[in-house]
Amino acid sequence: MLEHPTPLRGTGSRTPPRLPGIGSPIPDDAGIGLRFQHHREVLDTRPRVPWFEVHSENYMGGGAAFACLDALRHDYPVSLHGVGLSLGSADALDRAHVARVRDLVAQIEPGLVSEHLAWSIVDDTYLADLLPLPLTEEALDVVCGHVDEVQAALQRSILIENPSSYLRFAHSTIPEWEFMAAVASRTGCGILCDVNNLYVSACNHGFDADRYLAALPKAAIGEFHLAGHATRELPGDRTLRIDDHGSRVCEAVWALYGQALERFGPRPTLIEWDTGVPALEVLLDEAATAQQAIDRAIEGLRDRADRPQFATQRPPHARAAGPAHAFAR
Amino acid sequence: MPSLADLQRGMRRSLLLGDAAIAALIVEDGIAPAVRLGIHRSTFGAVATRALRLNHPAVAKLVGDDFFEGAARAYVAKRPPASAWLDGYGAGFAGFLASFAPAANLDYLADVARLEWSVSRALHAPAACALDAHALASLAALDPARQSAVRFTAHPSLRLLRTRAPADAIWRATLASDDQALAAIDPHAGPRWLLVARGAPGIEVVALSERAWRFTCDLAAGRSLQQALARVGDDRTGGALPIERFDPAALLGAHLAAGRFTAFRVTDALRAADPLRATDPSQEILR
Repeated sequence: MLEHPTPLRGTGSRTPPRLPGIGSPIPDDAGIGLRFQHHREVLDTRPRVPWFEVHSENYMGGGAAFACLDALRHDYPVSLHGVGLSLGSADALDRAHVARVRDLVAQIEPGLVSEHLAWSIVDDTYLADLLPLPLTEEALDVVCGHVDEVQAALQRSILIENPSSYLRFAHSTIPEWEFMAAVASRTGCGILCDVNNLYVSACNHGFDADRYLAALPKAAIGEFHLAGHATRELPGDRTLRIDDHGSRVCEAVWALYGQALERFGPRPTLIEWDTGVPALEVLLDEAATAQQAIDRAIEGLRDRADRPQFATQRPPHARAAGPAHAFAR
Repeated sequence: MPSLADLQRGMRRSLLLGDAAIAALIVEDGIAPAVRLGIHRSTFGAVATRALRLNHPAVAKLVGDDFFEGAARAYVAKRPPASAWLDGYGAGFAGFLASFAPAANLDYLADVARLEWSVSRALHAPAACALDAHALASLAALDPARQSAVRFTAHPSLRLLRTRAPADAIWRATLASDDQALAAIDPHAGPRWLLVARGAPGIEVVALSERAWRFTCDLAAGRSLQQALARVGDDRTGGALPIERFDPAALLGAHLAAGRFTAFRVTDALRAADPLRATDPSQEILR
């Protein structure tokens, strides 16, 4: 079973744990995705960030990037987020890549390890994107088998992230939310609920984001992701939302995040930014906004615990988070 | 209903070759499947070419964005990445450039690409501890007979390559955007004997004399000091090597000071004392 990190509830402190740093669980606070552009600044200034997440594939081998992460992990909890295991490939897992992930996990001792519900590899070709799966029983078996293999190789649970997608296959038979829940229940893995992905896919395919959240098992939710996305206008008044991680989190995603926090409770939350990476302070500012939402959610839980007579009443700040997001179509 | 494997092969043909068959499996819902697929095709192309660019920044600068993009896309179509570890993508790019017709008049380009691949390998090589002061002291304390039988282990980042063009000078001037230096380079100045390694200050690219380079290759391949010395003085290694100032002790000192070796061992004295037994590389198992 997945072990949730110990919440640092009520400490009110954003100071990264100093001792022991290595292998620390990821706190239920808002961290940021660490990108190369910020390595020097983070090493030099040690900003007050509760935790960092990195893309595993960028730290394999022993170069400067790895040395940076190896230095930072003494002072900050670190999460490893992979993009390359291709858990949805009909082909066998790339053993060499599993070994690289295993070695990196052994060296970095991360608080969390995560991957995607996607595929990228076929016939020894890496298609360099997180490609969508047909949501069929066959694909479910394949994904579960590969998650089992990876968890056995790493000897720990991983989190699986829900995808953002731009196309669906006509022969899919399982709603994505049921597919995610089934992977978690069959393999014991956790779920990385990417709120931006959920919103992007809900808009692109017209499904109900609330229904999606409601279908996910609360105990399996191990992390949230937040990011910005782009909107592409197409002929015929159609729009596709593109998950480019290239802007601030939009209002609708903040609102959906508020709903997710209310439903699942506080969880480690990550600000991701990969296209046109801005100054570190912009990321810290976004993380501060996410942290406020987490703190409000914790207050809400405490209020409900302290005053059971009001347990069914939504706290005022939850209403302030805005109306349920409207689909853009 | 297509199997998952068939669907994935269809996607590969679509993204790599533009084959349209996969579109029949995709829900249209007001947006043509080709448009939906185009998002993935464009990400694939962009990510793969960016990986080649990151591993070959000087080549990209030398030929300009459009030319590089064209060359990279042609390479990606021919040899797409096999693994998600994109730092390791592009092993064949230098060779591809050597026979890439539009680059035929840039006969130094493939050499620069080879150097950049070596730099990239050095950048991403595993970490290893160089011989420290304590180890060097124990090396210095060996009696001379045993010293000559010492074999070193090279740092995993150490690369030794020979280029026909002065790739190091072109590479350096290009990355520094030093047009004056670039203009002063004669691309046909003759071969270069290069050492690439990752040391404490970062990547170093050092031009050696041929003799120093061969000596270093032998040490990196695990030959003993005595063997390496014998071979570098041996005409069979390459005919008449240029008569040059060659100070193996100073060179070895420079290698050790720069952290290019991580370990040493003293081999069996009898075997090491008999250079004839070890001078045939085809008979020797190295490392």
